[in-house]
Amino acid sequence: MPQAQLDDPEGTLAMLRDSVATLASRFPGPASVRAKRAAGGDRDAALWQAMAEAGWTAILLPEELGGAGLTLAEQVVVSEALGRALISEPVAISAVLSSRLLAEAAQSRERDRLAAGLVDGSLALAPAWIDALGRAMTAQTTPGGGFSLTGTKRHVDLALSASDFLVTADMADGVGLFAVRAGGPGMSVETAAGVDGAVIGTVRLERCAVPVEALITSAPSLDELLEEPIAAARVALAAELAGIASRAVEITIDYTKGRVQFGKPIASFQVIQHRLVDMWTDAEFACAAVVNAVETLALGDDRAGRMAVLAAKARAGDAAVSVCRRAVHLHGAMGFTDESDIGLYLKRATGLNATLGQPEDLRLQFVNLERAA
Amino acid sequence: MAAAQDWNALSDAAFRDAFRDLVEGRLPAELRFMRKQRPLFDEVAVWYHALAEEGWLAPVWPVEHGGMGLSPAKHMIYVEEWGRLGCPRIPDHGIGLVGPLLLEHGTEEQKAYYMPRVLSGEHVWCQGYSEPGSGSDLASLRTSAVRDGDEFVVNGQKIWTTLAHCANWIFALVRTSRDEKVRQKGITVLLIDMTTPGVTVRPIANLRGETDFCEVFFDDVRVPVGNVVGEIDQGWNVAKSVLGHERIFLGATTRPEIAIERLEKLAQAKGAFSDPAFRSRYARHRLDLYDLGSAFDRFAKVLREGGELGADVSMLKIFTTELYQRITEETLTLADEDARYFDDIDAGNGKVDAMNLFLDSRAPAIFGGSNEIQRNILAKAVLKLPG
Ligand SMILES: Cc1cc2nc3c(=O)[nH]c(=O)nc-3n(C[C@H](O)[C@H](O)[C@H](O)COP(=O)(O)OP(=O)(O)OC[C@H]3O[C@@H](n4cnc5c(N)ncnc54)[C@H](O)[C@@H]3O)c2cc1C
Repeated sequence: MPQAQLDDPEGTLAMLRDSVATLASRFPGPASVRAKRAAGGDRDAALWQAMAEAGWTAILLPEELGGAGLTLAEQVVVSEALGRALISEPVAISAVLSSRLLAEAAQSRERDRLAAGLVDGSLALAPAWIDALGRAMTAQTTPGGGFSLTGTKRHVDLALSASDFLVTADMADGVGLFAVRAGGPGMSVETAAGVDGAVIGTVRLERCAVPVEALITSAPSLDELLEEPIAAARVALAAELAGIASRAVEITIDYTKGRVQFGKPIASFQVIQHRLVDMWTDAEFACAAVVNAVETLALGDDRAGRMAVLAAKARAGDAAVSVCRRAVHLHGAMGFTDESDIGLYLKRATGLNATLGQPEDLRLQFVNLERAA
Repeated sequence: MAAAQDWNALSDAAFRDAFRDLVEGRLPAELRFMRKQRPLFDEVAVWYHALAEEGWLAPVWPVEHGGMGLSPAKHMIYVEEWGRLGCPRIPDHGIGLVGPLLLEHGTEEQKAYYMPRVLSGEHVWCQGYSEPGSGSDLASLRTSAVRDGDEFVVNGQKIWTTLAHCANWIFALVRTSRDEKVRQKGITVLLIDMTTPGVTVRPIANLRGETDFCEVFFDDVRVPVGNVVGEIDQGWNVAKSVLGHERIFLGATTRPEIAIERLEKLAQAKGAFSDPAFRSRYARHRLDLYDLGSAFDRFAKVLREGGELGADVSMLKIFTTELYQRITEETLTLADEDARYFDDIDAGNGKVDAMNLFLDSRAPAIFGGSNEIQRNILAKAVLKLPG
């Protein structure tokens, strides 16, 4: 069934894929999602710890920072397999985006503390880069030599269990990335229920004082700071979405083969067969788009790489949401229940599709980039 | 109860005004435009009893049974105003289904006993048709009713029974005998008091996190033979004949109207109407809705002129349920990163329940005869396709 077909001469990717499946059997995704949702939490700590021990929280963290220093190919295999298993932790943001942000920072004790915590799972890093309207985060230098941060960040994963927020803020000359410890004076966190079971935070900083070491890196603009990390996170999201789409097709094929109405499995009706074929095709296209992003990025042409990433995230997001919608429908009323897993797939797909750009927007960016040439 | 009045003699405008006066006078503000799609009886009891007192609870029941005796044309206005004024859904199986069922097939005793109790709210009804093994293929149902003297002994299970957890009566399709050739034969409509020993109800949470529907289990439940509606073994035809002109409402514009109102609200808040790309996508939905109105009118006209609906009315149900889905999907697209939330989103000009409606829109394409079943009906009964 659909799967990202990456070159794997040594068979290492296949092994990696198997090890995610093994972990998933110890920590079934749907049960984890339900427990997290019931508790109003934002992560499954035991599951995250197990992923850290397996090395999957720092796949894209360079070796000199203690990470695995692997490539997007490995990240895609892990993310796709997590998507299939509905393991719904914020890997693309807290692991991938954080790893790539830290990779941009020059050596410092603070950077190394964060990296080490990401690797062994002892710290929960929460990137916070989306400003609330009219509350853009700013950093002002203070007489004592540190900074004072004021502003509001939205859509923050791990807002409740974060040990450290990675906060972008405007400075006099560009944009800085600050490591802000959770729970300090001047910080308040509000949460709302996310569609995929985890709460999502809004983080308010009001003259929140941080030491000078908190500034771990800076860039002339937000785009320059975030472009590469966001591209990596989008590829990881696309892979997760492709995994969700693929698994949702399989679940629906099984269900419609087993569900008998009018004396036959409903999968024997031609209209349902055609629907399943279309869903499978969409999942296959999503997987192909993800592979294309990995391979194009590896070739090093910046513009071509950016376009491939936009295409993959858009394709996989659309595929996952629309496959899951049709999957729910083909489950009949069963699909409309909370107890059936297919609804959780739809919800997770919707949430990830809306993270770091929805397809409509990504497609426009693709065309703008292409036509700007 | 207010004095009976010939509502049909009023002009449409006067009738609308009368409805509006009623809503303004008797519907508590907090019950208007409720977020909950399927409130429980107690949550809307004030409104239910107010309608009963004013004589507005049962629009199509004949006047002698405490109804308004509305013509289909006036009934359509009633339904339209209900939605437009934001009246909450009431548990309406008694009014909408049991009443017509008894009027058509019930004995005089049954009418006299049950109908006033629907009006008073003493009996709250639910519909027990679907079973775990019988959804689209309803005729395969297996809940059995075995005759034992003056009683039937019922065993089996119903599922997806909307509001069973706040109902005390269920009208169920049960199997009273087995005919290998014609499965529709041997089915009987039975009215069952849910407080009878052996009835168990288990609510089922839905995708929206609410519990609107339930499983209902029957374990040696004894039901008097007098609770059969129509003839024994003829329940299939009895049940089928109930929805006459009301089938048009499966195709009503209400759901997409609610959805597009939310889309517009969010678009306004985000200034999206000045984005040509959004405007063009919005225009498609807006005209789909507009044209649904035209198609609906085509069928409404048949009813206004005293005609009967054909199988072709199913086209409305397919179109409106799928349009409802497309609009809620568009709202999530417009919501951008806010589409990650299960909770309602803050649009600056109030809350928009984008995810709630998106998830809700999955259901109408399934219930009331799934859209595939509707297409099968159209293919066979209207286009007369072979096979
Ligand atoms: C919100 C909600 C409320 C409900 N309330 C009630 C209630 O109060 N009382 C009650 O009795 N029932 C109720 N139902 C049940 C409803 O009537 C059934 O869900 C419906 O009949 C479909 O049956 P099913 O769910 O078993 O799906 P299935 O029949 O198993 O269908 C599964 C899928 O297969 C498709 N399919 C089935 N047969 C064919 C075919 N021949 N050709 C092509 N495609 C086909 C369907 O369209 C669907 O997509 C409710 C359902 C919902 C969702």
